[in-house]
Amino acid sequence: MSAVIEIEGLRKTFHSLRNGRRVAVDGFDLLVEAGQVHGFLGPNGSGKTTTLRALLGLVRADSGRMTVLGEPSPELLPRVAGQVGAIVESPQFFGNFTGHRTLRLLARAGGVPVSRVDQVLDLVGLHDRGDDRVKSYSLGMKQRLAVASALLKDPRLLILDEPANGLDPAGIREMRDLMRSLAANGVTVLVSSHILGEIQLICDHVTIISRGRRVAAGRVDEVLAGHDRHEFLVRVAEPERAVELLHAAGLTAVVDGEALVVSGVGDPTVVSRALGEQGLWVGELTPLRPDLESVFLELTGAYGPSSVPRQVDDSSPPRDGAVIDLDRGVDA
Amino acid sequence: MNLVRAELERLSARRFVQLMVVLLVFAFAVTAATTLAGSHKPTASELNSARQQAVDARRSMETTHQECLARLQERSPTDTSEYFADCADLDPVRQERLPIAADFLPGVFSFAEQAESLLYFLIAFLVLFGFLVGASYIGADLNSGGVVNLLLWRPRRLTVLAAKLGTLLGSVLALSLLASVVYLATFWVIGQSAGLPGRLDGDFWGSLGAVHGRGMVLVLLASALGFAIATLGRHTSAALGAVAAYAVVWELGGRLVLQIIDARRPDRLMLSSYIGAWLSGESRFFDPQLCAATAGTGYCSGLYTLTWGPALLVLVALTGGLTVLAFAVFRRRDLI
Repeated sequence: MSAVIEIEGLRKTFHSLRNGRRVAVDGFDLLVEAGQVHGFLGPNGSGKTTTLRALLGLVRADSGRMTVLGEPSPELLPRVAGQVGAIVESPQFFGNFTGHRTLRLLARAGGVPVSRVDQVLDLVGLHDRGDDRVKSYSLGMKQRLAVASALLKDPRLLILDEPANGLDPAGIREMRDLMRSLAANGVTVLVSSHILGEIQLICDHVTIISRGRRVAAGRVDEVLAGHDRHEFLVRVAEPERAVELLHAAGLTAVVDGEALVVSGVGDPTVVSRALGEQGLWVGELTPLRPDLESVFLELTGAYGPSSVPRQVDDSSPPRDGAVIDLDRGVDA
Repeated sequence: MNLVRAELERLSARRFVQLMVVLLVFAFAVTAATTLAGSHKPTASELNSARQQAVDARRSMETTHQECLARLQERSPTDTSEYFADCADLDPVRQERLPIAADFLPGVFSFAEQAESLLYFLIAFLVLFGFLVGASYIGADLNSGGVVNLLLWRPRRLTVLAAKLGTLLGSVLALSLLASVVYLATFWVIGQSAGLPGRLDGDFWGSLGAVHGRGMVLVLLASALGFAIATLGRHTSAALGAVAAYAVVWELGGRLVLQIIDARRPDRLMLSSYIGAWLSGESRFFDPQLCAATAGTGYCSGLYTLTWGPALLVLVALTGGLTVLAFAVFRRRDLI
């Protein structure tokens, strides 16, 4: 597959008199191929938005190479801008304009047929509110309008920064369906979000950034499989005795409430056999698969049992410089 | 062209612009209404009386001039008092204007006599309008993310900024021309119907046209200046703050310091002097330092002049320089 977005060694440092020098992105790499719905994850302040802004020519990178649809960005971004729909953070619109007028202005500025406005308002569920003023919109409706503005160009590549911000559960589901339908029609989608469950549901690929550096990249299922400890939840009548029996069988097990967590299990029949042979019958044997949230928190160190509130810059850098890249192997 | 059309729609839809236009119309309506209410068509006897008073006033000026010349001939060679130094100042022929009948018709609006001062009022409002609208147009867009939104559509920074500036200048000029025509036409009608039209010859229209033309240039410069400063400072308030700071720190504070240190020709260092000189064609300023060298040796007016040429050069250099700087900074700036 051809690369739709390619970022290599992106670096960006912000300088200010008050806060001094702050490295926002530190040698970051990203590869998004055609047809992917690619999740872009990272804790607050990890460099997600700076990366997207640099890619779209809004922020000047210190170094690194970026291409969008095969054209170097930002130098030749104007050549492909007509095929790239993007929202970066929550865009602001004129409160006095109606949703329809807002999109009509953008369409006119971008040379897009005005007839497209009604289509995209319909797509994002704002058809009946298109003639209302933007200031009367809820946060979720403004977000839908932002997505509509990104869709106006009928893009080949859609870049969405936190598109689910402010959306209600139904809106989140609609956004998910919309992205799936766009992907089914051949649109490549790069979406950053904090709603990890959503990313897991809609994205086939994911890149995780922490402290400006990539800490994981690849297919979602492969990233998850890379963090699978082969753990099982086991329910038995005598948990304490079961632990002893499993230890004797060479397995690692700990009591967790009224159940056991057994790790390092390649074949779950080993557990049931070890317990059954001693008269302990297994009531439940459930594999504990990692989800994107646990992998994200593990990789970014964005959660810990500390009594001190976590600060936005407290996330972990990549361990020993290693990056899990299931497309390219492990970079050291 | 599409970009300009879109920007035109955005500009005209701005609440601030609409508010300023309403204020302009309101000020215009109040001025026209009070003028109309305070003026009447003069009767024949009022006109005759006023004409006679004008003749008397001109005669009095001539008499004073002749008396000055006579005293000058009679004075002793050692008398260097200033009164006698320059009788030419009293010469009616050298006066900017001589008394006319309209000067002696209280409560009668004369278009020819008052059009210029009315036009100055309009220009002052339009300069303020241009500056504030120019600053808020880009300042609000930079601050709210509107520019970022636009750049996602048209990732050509200089083109986007130039389209904004071009739209601003074109719109302000069009509104200014329209406002000027409506404004002057209204007062011309008041002069015709409820006052005196006055002497509307070629000289009058030429002079009024020159003031108007210079005024329009000043309106455009003010618009570009507000736009440039707000672009540099990222906020509308940057432009307002810069002007307020300049006025207080330099025009007031700096002027005081220059007076204290007896600087020569301090008004040459003030932007307001160049604005005045450009608008009126030339401005004269008094500086007693100029007479220090000639003290006791003869007449010295202590006046120096700023003409419209250098004034335009200073104003264009300042505005142009800041505009170029704004484009250069915007081209490289991180939009976060």
